[in-house]
Amino acid sequence: MDTTPAIEVSALVKVFAKRDKRTIRAVDGLSFQVPKGSIFGLLGPNGAGKTTTIRILTTLLAPTGGEARVMGYDVVQNPLAVRRQICVVVQESAIELHLSVQNNFRVFGRFHGLLADEIQRRTDRVSELFGLSEYLNEKGMDLSGGLKRRVQVAKTFLIDKPVVFLDEATTGMDTFNKRATIQAVKEESQKGRTIVLTTHVLDEAEVLCDSIAIMNHGKLVAQGSVDSVKAYGLRMMSLSMSLTEVSPSTIELVRTYQPISIDIKNTTLDITVKDDSTVLAILTAVRQHTEVRHFEITTASLEDVFIQLLDKKARTA
Amino acid sequence: MREIMAVVYREYLVRITGLTWMFFDLAVPLLYLLMFGVAFDRALGQGLSVGGQPISYNSFFLAGVLSMTCFGNALNTSYGFFVDRDNGILFEFLTYPMTRGQFLLGKILFQCAMTVLQSMLTISVSAVLLGVSVPWHLILFVLAAMIIGTAGWFFFLSIFAFLIRRNDTFNLVINVIYFVLMFLSSVFYPLERVPIWLRTVAMANPLSWHSDVLRFLTLGVGELQSILLEVAGFILFLLVSFWVAIRALQKAL
Repeated sequence: MDTTPAIEVSALVKVFAKRDKRTIRAVDGLSFQVPKGSIFGLLGPNGAGKTTTIRILTTLLAPTGGEARVMGYDVVQNPLAVRRQICVVVQESAIELHLSVQNNFRVFGRFHGLLADEIQRRTDRVSELFGLSEYLNEKGMDLSGGLKRRVQVAKTFLIDKPVVFLDEATTGMDTFNKRATIQAVKEESQKGRTIVLTTHVLDEAEVLCDSIAIMNHGKLVAQGSVDSVKAYGLRMMSLSMSLTEVSPSTIELVRTYQPISIDIKNTTLDITVKDDSTVLAILTAVRQHTEVRHFEITTASLEDVFIQLLDKKARTA
Repeated sequence: MREIMAVVYREYLVRITGLTWMFFDLAVPLLYLLMFGVAFDRALGQGLSVGGQPISYNSFFLAGVLSMTCFGNALNTSYGFFVDRDNGILFEFLTYPMTRGQFLLGKILFQCAMTVLQSMLTISVSAVLLGVSVPWHLILFVLAAMIIGTAGWFFFLSIFAFLIRRNDTFNLVINVIYFVLMFLSSVFYPLERVPIWLRTVAMANPLSWHSDVLRFLTLGVGELQSILLEVAGFILFLLVSFWVAIRALQKAL
C-alpha cells in the first residue's frame, strides 16, 4: 500500500525582500504532512503566511529554504510534475472576462488535456452542481463577484487531478453556493482526492476538514485533527447562560474567574473558560447571585481555540 | 505541443470575441503604408537612392511597415499580461500543467499567425494599390522573418511587462522604447545619409537589423554578408530575450 503523503512540507521558509531592504519571513520553518484522500485546512489570520505556503506548493513561488513535495514531487526540482498533479483556486478572482462561462470551461479543460466531448459532458455536470447552467452563455465580465468565484471553483471540479488547492474559495459566495461547494469538496475527497484549503471561516473548516494547521506570523501554532487542535485549548469549555437580568455585578462576578471571553446578548451570557472546573464554579456562583433560567455547557468551538491560541502566541512573543 | 496549442486556443477565443480589435490589428499596418507611405512618396518626388539603386519611398517603406507590424503585435501581446494579471487569471495559468516557456511560446504562436495574415494583406495591397514590386518567390522567407521578428520583440517587451507592476509605468517605458527604437533605426529612412552618430546607434538597434533583412528580401538591397550577420544578431537577441523573459516571469510572481 502506498503510504506516501499527498503533501510533505519540511522546514519550509520563504523570505521576501522589501524595497527598503527589510526582509519579511512570510513562512518560517513550517512542517506538516497531508495524507492522501483527506481534507486539510490551513488556518490563520491575515498575513499568517497561508497564501504564501499555497503559492509555494502550487509552484507559483520558490521557497527560500526547506522542502515541499506534492504527490512525491519536489516543487523546486520538478515543478511541471507537481502542476500535473494539482488544480488550484487562487486567492485572486480568476476568470476570463471576455469569454463566456462555457468558453471558460472549454479553455480550462483544454489546458488539462480533456477532449471537446469530455469537456462538454463535464461542463453539464459541474454547471448543474454549482447552479451555473443558466449562465453558460454569459460573458465573465457580466457576472457578479460571487458568480465569478463560483465559475472559478466549478472549473476545478471539471478535472480529476489528485490534489486540489482552494485558497479562500468560498469568499464572496452566498450561503447556497457555499453549501454546494462544501458538499462538492466532501464528495471529491470521498473519491480519493486530497483537498487543501485555506479559510477565515472556521466553522467551514470545522465541518470540512479531517485535519488542520493553524499558522501565525509564518509559523505553525497548532496542527492535527480538528478535535486534537481543539484539545490544544487545554480543555476549553463554553458556558451559555440565560439569566433573568444581566447586572454589572454579575459580570464582575464572572470576571473574577478570569474567563477567556465573555459575550453578552440581552440576558444571555456566553462565556469561554479554560477548563470544566471553572465552568462549574462560575455556574454555581452565578446561580447563588441571580436566577439562571437556562444554561448549556459545550466544548469550545474551533474559533474559540483559534483565538486563544493566537492570543497565547502573541503574549508569548 | 498540446500545452502550447491550448494557449493558442485560448488566445484565439479571446481575440475572436473582439472583432473591432481584430480589424484594427489587421488594418493598422496597411493604414500606415497608405497614409504615411503615400504622403512621403509624393513629398520626396524622385524617390530614394539606396545602395545606388533608385527606388520609390513606398517600396522602401514596405519593409519598415512590416517591421513595425512585428513590433506592434509583440507590444499588444505583452500588454495582455497586464490584463491577465488584473483579471487574476495569470496566476491560475501558471499553475496549469505546462512550463513557463510553453506558456510564452503559445502566446506568441497565435500572434505570429496574426502577423502572417497582416503581412500577406499589407504586401498584397501594396502590390495592387501602390505598385510595389513584390518578389513573390521569396514570400516564405519574408513570412519567416516576420515570425522571428514578432517573437523576438514579444520576448523582449514581455520582460518589461513582467518586471513593471504598474500599467501606466509600462505604457510610459514602452512609449519611450518605441520612439527611440523606431526613429533611431532604418525603418523610416535609409541610414546612408544620416549623421555618423545616428548611423552608429541605428546599426546597433535590432529594429534596424530586422528592417534591413526584410528590405533585402523585398527589395534586394544590402550585402548578403552583413544581412546574414544581422539575422544572426536578431536570433541571438530573440534567444537572450526568451531566456530573460522566463526568469522575469518567475520573478514577477
